[in-house]
Amino acid sequence: MIVVGAVSAGPHVFWITSRAAGAAALVLSSLAVGAGVMIGSRGRVLKGMGGDVKALHEALSLATLVAIGVHGAALLGDAYLHPSVLEISLPFASSYRPFWTGLGVAAGWGSAALGLSYYARASIGAARWRHLHRFTALFWALGIVHTLGAGTDAGQLWFLAIVLAPAAPAAAILLSRMGRRAAAGPGGGSGRSAPYGNTASPVASSTIEIATAGQASAASRSSS
Amino acid sequence: MTRMDAPSRLEARGLARARIRARRARVRTIRRRTIRGSLALFAVLWVLVFVQLVSGNDPALSHAPRARRSPAAAHGPEPAAEPELGEEAEASLPEGEFAPEPEPEEGRLAEEEPPEPEPEPLVTSAS
Repeated sequence: MIVVGAVSAGPHVFWITSRAAGAAALVLSSLAVGAGVMIGSRGRVLKGMGGDVKALHEALSLATLVAIGVHGAALLGDAYLHPSVLEISLPFASSYRPFWTGLGVAAGWGSAALGLSYYARASIGAARWRHLHRFTALFWALGIVHTLGAGTDAGQLWFLAIVLAPAAPAAAILLSRMGRRAAAGPGGGSGRSAPYGNTASPVASSTIEIATAGQASAASRSSS
Repeated sequence: MTRMDAPSRLEARGLARARIRARRARVRTIRRRTIRGSLALFAVLWVLVFVQLVSGNDPALSHAPRARRSPAAAHGPEPAAEPELGEEAEASLPEGEFAPEPEPEEGRLAEEEPPEPEPEPLVTSAS
């Protein structure tokens, strides 16, 4: 059906592909964040499924990065926007909604850097990598804000349902975990090296602030 | 601490290898399912956006800026010919701006718009 659609979509095929890939990236990243948070909670949630969830988290993260790549690269073929390589790869360089698009580019690069840093964990150092990896949630939130601010389908009910259905539970798990860590204070009360001890508050508060800004932007766009 | 004898050591190694093989197979299955699921998700979203586009309900097309006609261009050289409701609305706007048109319903741009009725000329007591 996609082949038939691609033929009949004609000049819009790149645009449709970019929109679909962007939405897929958001859904996959929400699932990946949810799985990642579950790995962090270890015994509390998983009960012997840790290996499976870890493999799922890795596969979902890689699929997200591929989808982000397709989302950006497909725009290069769009005859209407016709962005340059610099516009899709440099934050805030795009002529189309520069701020919101810039957030998306920054979120894409941040997610790629922090996600792929897993394979350089040995040289980074496990503790330092774990500390850095937590900021992936911030870039995930930036991606949601980018979608609400610049997304063509951001006002569509079906789109919001598809995108927010996996994002809401992931955000809830993440925030509850951050809240638990913050309540436990520095060190988190566990034997491990303070997974969310000192960084919980900055990541949580900036994630909430960014998400609120995106929702306000989407609301103002839908009301205007 | 007791030492394991040779047969039981071999048995333990075999068991460990079997577990590792099972673990790898499980990871492969999860990866394969994730790839399939991701492709299916992309396909579903692609079709949704495509159907939205061809059915004329695409948000980008229905919210595209419309070319606005100035009253002078729209109604010709007659200066007295103004829409009935335009006078009050335009009085509150700065010079050079026109009252905004109501937002079109989604998908309506794809259809041909019916021709606008000619506005009635403003009748004053002087005319």
